[in-house]
Amino acid sequence: MAEPKYKLTLCDGTACVHNHSKELRLAIEEQLEKHGLTDAVTILLSGCLGMCSKGPILVVNPGYIIYGNVQVADVTEIVESHLVGNKAVTRLIIQQDSLYNRFFRIFGDARFFGRQMRICLRNCGIIDPENIDDYLALRGYEALAMALEKMTPQQVIDEVKKSGLRGRGGAGFSTGLKWELTAREPGDEKYVICNADEGDPGAFMDRSAIEGDPHTVLEGMIIAGYAVGASKGIIYIRAEYPLAIKRLDKAIDAAHEHGLLGPNILGSDFSFDLEIRLGAGAFVCGEETALIHSIEGSRGMPRPRPPYPSVSGLFGKPTLINNVETWANIPVILLDGADWFSTIGTETSKGTKVFALAGKVHNTGLVEVPMGMTLREIIYDIGGGIPNGREFKAVQTGGPSGGCLPKQYLDTQIDYDSLAKAGSIMGSGGMIVIDEDSCMVALARFFIEFTQDESCGKCTPCREGTKRMYDILTRITEGKGQPGDIEKLERLGEMIKRASLCGLGQSAPNPVLSTIANFREEYEEHISSKKCRAGQCTALLSFTVNEKCVGCGACKRVCPVAAVEGARKEKHRILQERCIRCGQCFTVCKFDAITRA
Amino acid sequence: MLTPLQTIRKKRAAAVSRIIAKGYLATRRVYVGMATCEIAAGSREVMDVFRHAIDDGLTDVYLSQKGCAGRCNLEPTVEVIEEGNIPVKYGRVSPQRAREIVERHLKKGEVITEWMI
Repeated sequence: MAEPKYKLTLCDGTACVHNHSKELRLAIEEQLEKHGLTDAVTILLSGCLGMCSKGPILVVNPGYIIYGNVQVADVTEIVESHLVGNKAVTRLIIQQDSLYNRFFRIFGDARFFGRQMRICLRNCGIIDPENIDDYLALRGYEALAMALEKMTPQQVIDEVKKSGLRGRGGAGFSTGLKWELTAREPGDEKYVICNADEGDPGAFMDRSAIEGDPHTVLEGMIIAGYAVGASKGIIYIRAEYPLAIKRLDKAIDAAHEHGLLGPNILGSDFSFDLEIRLGAGAFVCGEETALIHSIEGSRGMPRPRPPYPSVSGLFGKPTLINNVETWANIPVILLDGADWFSTIGTETSKGTKVFALAGKVHNTGLVEVPMGMTLREIIYDIGGGIPNGREFKAVQTGGPSGGCLPKQYLDTQIDYDSLAKAGSIMGSGGMIVIDEDSCMVALARFFIEFTQDESCGKCTPCREGTKRMYDILTRITEGKGQPGDIEKLERLGEMIKRASLCGLGQSAPNPVLSTIANFREEYEEHISSKKCRAGQCTALLSFTVNEKCVGCGACKRVCPVAAVEGARKEKHRILQERCIRCGQCFTVCKFDAITRA
Repeated sequence: MLTPLQTIRKKRAAAVSRIIAKGYLATRRVYVGMATCEIAAGSREVMDVFRHAIDDGLTDVYLSQKGCAGRCNLEPTVEVIEEGNIPVKYGRVSPQRAREIVERHLKKGEVITEWMI
């Protein structure tokens, strides 16, 4: 088929559907047919484009012409004038000089991007991150200039509060409120910190955001400095992100050159400076009090709160800590407006969230979607579903602090509260898709191994408790599980959650507890019948030769411990006492003659 | 004395003209993904191919790097944007493919559809 001449994107968000976008689509199709354009024009449906008040929205590419409030009666005019006559219908165009989604034109080709909404990652993959000109050209630092010129610090805080933005680091505390609490504290020495200590296994949202668009993080922090009355900012980032550090360094230098950092920013009387502090890559340093200790030069260990950092943080001064993604949202909120921002997302969670989609899914990658999208839409529509014809089993969100949600939760909406209700958390944005070949007990063991390794050791429940949980899980996966182990895990888990000092310990049992809640039968099978249905716990497997064996000898040749015996062209046999269950015979057999159970 | 907003607008205008001076208005703009993940997948070598092609006399091309757009399983990615045309995004670009993109797309204007995302 020839490349279509035009691509239409019709917003399929709830608000637009409510405004009769479905009827619109039918009308467009009818008109296309009438003009013989069915092959020359493709119609795509997209997720909410964030212009709900002007829905239904129709985007025409090339050209990225956005039509708003399109009614069925307008369709004839659009098709005849724009698609046939190449003349846009100016009456209906609602082009705006907004920051979000402005590159829909470039992203819009793939189905992957069509349902996304890019606010935080708006420039990622578009601009040259090492050239400040690229950022300046796209209204970079305009939000800062506007704040300095037209807004009082309190007005900036009010705007952020009104937007409904919540911290993207995991816990979801209201960002505006956090700013207000820090601003309220007396004293002229305050700090603003960017938490770029991204530690969840498989998560790379912050790294990509910084590497793709470092200036937006800087701009967000400078604005916050102005709003809360701080003159010093620190970016805490782990040393294992060398490229991100290099680009931040470059960005800070360039910002200095342009008078966007340092004394009297943009000719105002506000002064602010930034420096980078490197972390050694300890997971616990993502916890804000541990992070502060690390910057101060002490060991990265948390302390009880309150006092919260907003009251007594870095060097005992009021400190504002936000995550990379939170900072990246700030310039957009100021320029495009809190009113607009608060139309995106759900009642309690506004805006978008970036997820690192990984695991058993076709399109692994970084996605930014409006809150309220369902897990199913992310995994199947954007992620493209499960490869190799396997079945979906669960999705893990929130990394080592989160939980596993099975099939029946696929239609759960993504927001802080729905995920918590379903038994997981939003977390910082890791999303791992699990198929039927993965064992849930082994998965829980993996996460608890991670947290017990990363536990700082300060409080006993976390230090000892995670270790004991790890021991129990290990023995279950080795086929030495005992009746009562599940109950022990549950009791330990609840105890660790209640008694630990910081978020690391309080959430460490979550992967175990949620897999027990949703996949209890798998645990029971491991313990009572010593079976692993996913075939992942090798200690529980046994390999035997069945009737299909033709005696080709392939398994015999590949066996590293000579556990296969049998004459050529006769049925072979596996010596169980010698077998190390490596599974190579199972993989190599062409006749399906090895039974793995 | 300029206000902050006036200053930033002036800076933006200057930035835009600097970008244009670098050849942004060339008919074709080529972007190579250069985040940690893309570099690990081999994008530095791909970048070199395009750079050498320009050194060797390929004209009317504006070459730039970009961050990660999120298509992790298809990296390294290369984007060719021609004014008025739908942007072309190539996935899994090896140095070999990059050389072909130079020869076929940039020199002869042929879009290599089978590598498009």
